[in-house]
Amino acid sequence: MSNSRQAKPALYSQTLLAGLWRENPTLRLLLGMCPTLAVTAAVKPALTMGCCVIFVLLCSNIIVSLMRDLLKPHVRILMFTLTIATFVTIADLILKAFQPEMSETLGPYVPLIIVNCIIICRAEACASKNGLVISIIDAVGMGVGFTLTLCVLASIRELLATGAVFEIQVLPLARDGGWFVQWAAMGMPVGAFITLGLMLGLVNIVTGKKT
Amino acid sequence: MSKIKQFVQQSWLLIVASFFFGLLIAVTDAGLSPRIEQNKVNKRNRLVGALLPEARNFVALDTEIQIESAGGKTEKVEVFKAQSESGQCVGWSFNASGSGFADKIELVVAVDAKFEKIAGFAVLSSNETPGFGDQIKGDYYRSQYKGAPAGELKLVSIGDPKQIDSKIVAITGATVSSEAVVEIVSYFVTQIKEQMQKKGIIGNVQQQAS
Repeated sequence: MSNSRQAKPALYSQTLLAGLWRENPTLRLLLGMCPTLAVTAAVKPALTMGCCVIFVLLCSNIIVSLMRDLLKPHVRILMFTLTIATFVTIADLILKAFQPEMSETLGPYVPLIIVNCIIICRAEACASKNGLVISIIDAVGMGVGFTLTLCVLASIRELLATGAVFEIQVLPLARDGGWFVQWAAMGMPVGAFITLGLMLGLVNIVTGKKT
Repeated sequence: MSKIKQFVQQSWLLIVASFFFGLLIAVTDAGLSPRIEQNKVNKRNRLVGALLPEARNFVALDTEIQIESAGGKTEKVEVFKAQSESGQCVGWSFNASGSGFADKIELVVAVDAKFEKIAGFAVLSSNETPGFGDQIKGDYYRSQYKGAPAGELKLVSIGDPKQIDSKIVAITGATVSSEAVVEIVSYFVTQIKEQMQKKGIIGNVQQQAS
């Protein structure tokens, strides 16, 4: 009895930390690459995208976990897609209502969360096999892990492309008498590929992965 | 009968979930759509305000303006009268849309009070290719419309973009998007002008000239 009481918090913290580092969806599982590359030119859109993904992931994991015993094997993917599409549509409407400019900046990438592999992967791998609490913790861990990665990537790109982070000027620009020359390429798709590649290489060095 | 039973057994959850999720989206949409619409109005007012700097207030026309769309159907267009602080008409604005290179292009067009010159346009929504077609939002392209005659416009590949006339110089690498905007603006401006002249809202420029 006492073992099971101790095991549960350990399992919860393990599940939460898995999303942040050991099974980080972007850096370790290489899932959700489309928004990772597309919306990380600045921190604000990256953070908004991360929050949308957390919302959808949390809602879809809750629903899938609650109906896991009713799911028939051949309709399960259809059910996952239906659930995810519903919450993505709701997230899109909320964004359009309360953050119209950000909604325009993110453009089609919010509706494209429907095809984000992280969400369907967590529905299949975790929520359809586990209880509500584990599914919620998994969604929070994976969502926060994804958001943090996006924000780190976006911070590097925004800093090198504009000399600012979160639209706050950090480096003195050469055109204003400072020393920093804006590196426009970092704000373009090429900057996303290079930064992500370097980040993945760094993660491989840290984890000692050889191939 | 057994087939129907099997079908229901296999798919009842999907059917129930579809209704439930549909209802959830409908409720959210009903709750948020007034705010989304208000956001669109605010954006249009802000964009038109930049095109007609003297405008302080926008009043929708009571008279219904209908134009014929490309498919032969009639389409209702909401025309707004831009008024200065003293209530004087300083121009007109309306939404115009048509097919672009990748998707539908939605514009807001402003013309002067006499409907003789275009005051400019701004893009409400478009999905044109980044770096190419999306340059229709840029000053290089948009400035060519400011002061252009409110009538048929023509797209040319070579010319002076600073010369303000009915010729619009295309964006290099984005001819389809450039042409789409020219067609949308020309079509809506000429059709709305004709309708407004017929209804006596604005004077007939040709008659006045003669």
